[in-house]
Amino acid sequence: MEIHDLITTKSVVAALRVTSKKQALQELAKRAAQITGIDERQIFDVLLEREKLGTTGVGQGIAIPHGKLAPLTRLYGLFARLDRPIDFEAIDEQPVDLIFLLLAPESAGADHLKALARVSRLLRDKATTTKLRGCDSADGLYALLTEARASNAA
Amino acid sequence: MEAANQLIFFGALLVATSILAGLFSSRLGVPLLLVFLGIGMLVGEDGPGGIPFDDYATTYLVGSIALAVILFDGGLHTSRSVFRLALWPAISLATVGVLVSTAVVGAIAILVMGASTLEGLLLGAVLASTDAAAVFLLLHAHGLEINRRVSATLETESGINDPMAVFLVLFLVRMLQNPGQSLTWFAVEEFLVQMLGGAAIGIGGGFALTWIVNRIEIATGLYAILVAAAAIAIFSGANAIGASGFLAVYLAGIVLGNRPHRAQHVISRFHDGLAWLAQIVMFLLLGLLVTPSHLVKGLVGSIVIAVALMLAARPLAVWISLLPFRFNWREQSFIAWMGLRGAVPIFLASIPILAGLPQGHIYFEVTFVAVLASLLIQGWTVGPVARWLGLEVPAQPDTRERRELDLPGVVDRELTGYRVTQGCGATRVPFADLVLPRHARVVAVMREGSVLDQQAVTTLVPEDYVVVMAPPEQLLALDKLFAPPLDLGRREAAGLGEFVLHGNAPMSMLAELYGLPVDAADQMLTLAQYMRRQLRDTVVIGDRMRLGSVDLVVRELDDSIITGVGLELDPQEERLPVLRAWRRLRTLTGQLGARIRALVGGGGGARP
Repeated sequence: MEIHDLITTKSVVAALRVTSKKQALQELAKRAAQITGIDERQIFDVLLEREKLGTTGVGQGIAIPHGKLAPLTRLYGLFARLDRPIDFEAIDEQPVDLIFLLLAPESAGADHLKALARVSRLLRDKATTTKLRGCDSADGLYALLTEARASNAA
Repeated sequence: MEAANQLIFFGALLVATSILAGLFSSRLGVPLLLVFLGIGMLVGEDGPGGIPFDDYATTYLVGSIALAVILFDGGLHTSRSVFRLALWPAISLATVGVLVSTAVVGAIAILVMGASTLEGLLLGAVLASTDAAAVFLLLHAHGLEINRRVSATLETESGINDPMAVFLVLFLVRMLQNPGQSLTWFAVEEFLVQMLGGAAIGIGGGFALTWIVNRIEIATGLYAILVAAAAIAIFSGANAIGASGFLAVYLAGIVLGNRPHRAQHVISRFHDGLAWLAQIVMFLLLGLLVTPSHLVKGLVGSIVIAVALMLAARPLAVWISLLPFRFNWREQSFIAWMGLRGAVPIFLASIPILAGLPQGHIYFEVTFVAVLASLLIQGWTVGPVARWLGLEVPAQPDTRERRELDLPGVVDRELTGYRVTQGCGATRVPFADLVLPRHARVVAVMREGSVLDQQAVTTLVPEDYVVVMAPPEQLLALDKLFAPPLDLGRREAAGLGEFVLHGNAPMSMLAELYGLPVDAADQMLTLAQYMRRQLRDTVVIGDRMRLGSVDLVVRELDDSIITGVGLELDPQEERLPVLRAWRRLRTLTGQLGARIRALVGGGGGARP
């Protein structure tokens, strides 16, 4: 499971303008709806449902919201770099500015966990996140996200 | 006159030097107690100091008082929750464990040093008591916090194995002094009198002391002196009637420490200081007492005993003592490795000399080497071993910003001052929306030296000073509000799993979302209920269990209820190949079992 299996240049947002966690999830759901063709409301509900179990703000300004959607046929990722950090109720209580959304089909099983682990490992790397924060073009971000695989593959 | 003044001057200088030298020890990573011991040795007869000191009687007197003070302080700072978590394992370690350790060391002394049975056992008993204070000192010096089940067990064990070791040593010394006497029944009787008597006097004395402290009105500073004097009186009073003074003074400390009482902080800080002084004085004195050149002769034997204690006696004692309790191998290994020997064995080793046993000094010399080895080897490895065994848990919030004040006459509320730090929880919401723990109230907010009208405060800013009145049990929650955000790398922050889940998350949803293998019966449970069922009776932060390919880790506890769970997506493999293989084998048999069940079940379903 590699990052380029999850995202395309179209699923990277360079400077998302949002002011709250709810708005961020709404905005991401809207964009995910465009990519996957699934109802925006349905995606948002799934994400919100997941947040109720515990925050996906994993610390150090990173959030990895995720959920399962029956109509999907494969895993979809969406990366957003926020224009301005927002409160995401993260575990370290620090504001969040990098969000990787992951949507999995109902049948994903182990692949869902593998993809989550892959994304989490990628964004755990300080050097990568520093570069991501300093980059403001979608193409640049896509390149950074997908190139890291060589050094990070485990 | 001149001599008295010189004694005072050099004594004071020695203590002050030791404390200053201690500063360097934390930078060099040298165990602090070793520094005190080293200074004592430098001043002593083989060092540049050249002071000949071999007054075992004085050492015994000072050592007794020092040990009583240290045990009382240990009790004072042992909270009920620690005690509840660790009481039975600790009692087992302090009784069965001490006996096993004594027997193993005894056997090796008989084999290696040609000691008689009783002499061997006496050496074993002298070396049986552990010093957890030293372990925690070292852990904190490394900035480490370990699994609470382990720390509570080590701490409580070291409090109650001292009385046991003292009893055994005194008993064996008497046997050696009166050869030919059959003392078996007498031993059992005396043991019961010592321990039950000590427990009764300690608990009774503790309650009486609490009552007195809460009844009388005296200058605040005097409460601490009163308590110290009473503690030593309880210690010596119990000894005088043939009960265990060490047990009594430890229990009295626990009772006082866990009951609301006046002048709590003055008493607690004073005893902290006093316990430190006792440690310093004891190690200095023991360093002075030893003549390093005498150690050389029996060095090989001493080293064999030291190694046997570390690698055979302690592990075996821990393993046997903890059999009835469910400790995992990591926890057991750490407890076994951290049987650090401190001042107590050296102190106990002065008893055979005082009793005039033939070759009494051999006990002292062997013990000295064993303690030195323990401080050096275990002291230096405590940090890496804790990490390697994965017992490290994230540190509690920093309490350095907290200032406690005693309220005259009030016992169940504390007045606490906090300096507001950059980025702490309290600065992130408007002051009016600040949610304080139950029964806590902001008394005053100070900014730039003047008290603000609370109505006029919109948000708190760094460097504000907030005075809060709160029940003592809420202080930890308050600390979280005012402590600076933990500046850990994400790796450390995620040491308990990358995603957090609430304890009340339904298992059915988790199983669905992550494809986890949860039995149908368990799908009705919440995550907290499920984990409690799968884990042990006592759960501590850092406890983990495997579920499918992920680890569930206890992250937050409210008393004993699991409130937060970490989900670790790619858990670390076991570092020991044997365990890795074992785990694979278990997964494999599990899968095989599941497949067979599926086949059988599927076959049954196919043929109606």
